[in-house]
Amino acid sequence: MLHFVNKFIAKLLVSAGLLSVLISVHAASIVPNLSAISDSDVRNSAIAFVNTTTLPGLEGATINVDTDDRSSEQLRSSLGFSAEFTLKKHIFNGYWGLAIVGGSLDDRIDVIADTGEQVKLDIRRDVIGLRGSLGLSFPVDQYFKLRPFISLGMADLRTITNFDGLPITDASGETETLTTFDTSAYMGSATATLDAAYSRWFNDNRLEVSAQYNLRNTELISGDNSVLNTTAWSQTAMLKARYSGATSLVTDGRPWRWLAYASHTNFLSFDKASLGYTGLFEIGAGMEWNVNIKPLDWFGWQSIGLSFGVITSRNVEGYSFGLTAR
Amino acid sequence: MNMRFIIYILGMLILGSCVQAPSFKGDEYALISSNYPIISVNGTAIEESYKLDLAAGENTVVIVYHTYSKDYHCTFTWQAVAGIAYEVTDQENRYPLTLYQWQRKNRLWAMRLDPVDPSGCTVVEHDDNAGLIQHQVMSG
Repeated sequence: MLHFVNKFIAKLLVSAGLLSVLISVHAASIVPNLSAISDSDVRNSAIAFVNTTTLPGLEGATINVDTDDRSSEQLRSSLGFSAEFTLKKHIFNGYWGLAIVGGSLDDRIDVIADTGEQVKLDIRRDVIGLRGSLGLSFPVDQYFKLRPFISLGMADLRTITNFDGLPITDASGETETLTTFDTSAYMGSATATLDAAYSRWFNDNRLEVSAQYNLRNTELISGDNSVLNTTAWSQTAMLKARYSGATSLVTDGRPWRWLAYASHTNFLSFDKASLGYTGLFEIGAGMEWNVNIKPLDWFGWQSIGLSFGVITSRNVEGYSFGLTAR
Repeated sequence: MNMRFIIYILGMLILGSCVQAPSFKGDEYALISSNYPIISVNGTAIEESYKLDLAAGENTVVIVYHTYSKDYHCTFTWQAVAGIAYEVTDQENRYPLTLYQWQRKNRLWAMRLDPVDPSGCTVVEHDDNAGLIQHQVMSG
């Protein structure tokens, strides 16, 4: 199965409770009088941002947070594919995938310093990386497959942070109330994934249900900020159901199908304060065109489609629009 | 220098993997390739094969899709056209396997056209103790 996700656009309204977390990588180690932000918060925030952008199985999204004391927008997108390849003389097939992933965060937060000043943080984060996956696909029967695979990823994380309103004295003895930090870090990750996929046809309609579990080890290395030199384990579970059916539409001799889907993603090991949510629900619909080509004669690319979805959860509301390929 | 080397390697990989035109045994032959073993052609059992030359005209082939609980022996019967390549693969369609016309579009990709379902698949269930325990037929 070919998998190709370009970009979703989503708007998510998130409740309060994020204040101490989505914060610059520099804050804990360099900025004085900001004890509300601990080293652990900084690490968790960075790990959560990187992981929610680069984990296998996650699709693009734009997340807007709008509360009394914060306004932010997080974007993530990916371009890639995954496919099976035949291992002759074996029941199991091989499974591989490649993806370019990227994301950004624009975050504006009001926070009170220990000394009572009202501080405005303006944080810009960018991450871009590569991910490669390799594994096996075990067909249990015609309808059910188990796919264990390993993904290795590397990414570059850059953060630019403005502290406005917090007096900071630099090495030369000058005190400024507007300070900018520019930091970078490298991320390496190894993710073990187990994907269980079931599909069944009912006349011209097809039901697909999949469950995916990810166990990831993330290593952050920063020459700018020792706080970020850390390793963390995280777990994610995803469930998705998809139903599609035939239409009378045909383009260039290839038929269109309608589709509807529902999904749930649960960031099992993330603290709610890290992201403002630990789970996302999405329900949507779209159309897909059965192109059925074989790039480089390597693997089958069956369809390309557009979908529109609504995202909701206890603390999240929004919508999404995306381009998908299988 | 390094970038040139990387581009050179990538270029060689892409050129080396360009979609090749199929070669046929003769003017009156078609070609079939399968991701899964072909075990029978026109009623005659053969040694497992993944690529065969077929005489033009009506052909019947049996191809096995193996899984851990069952084997699916799928029978395809169709009019093979001389000079046409066919491909059988698993695309999680209604049947375990689907027969397509394989057509080279250009150097970068091929197209799968005119899907044909098998006329039926005999399901052979596995049993750890006795080997095969049951036969069922999925009708077309």
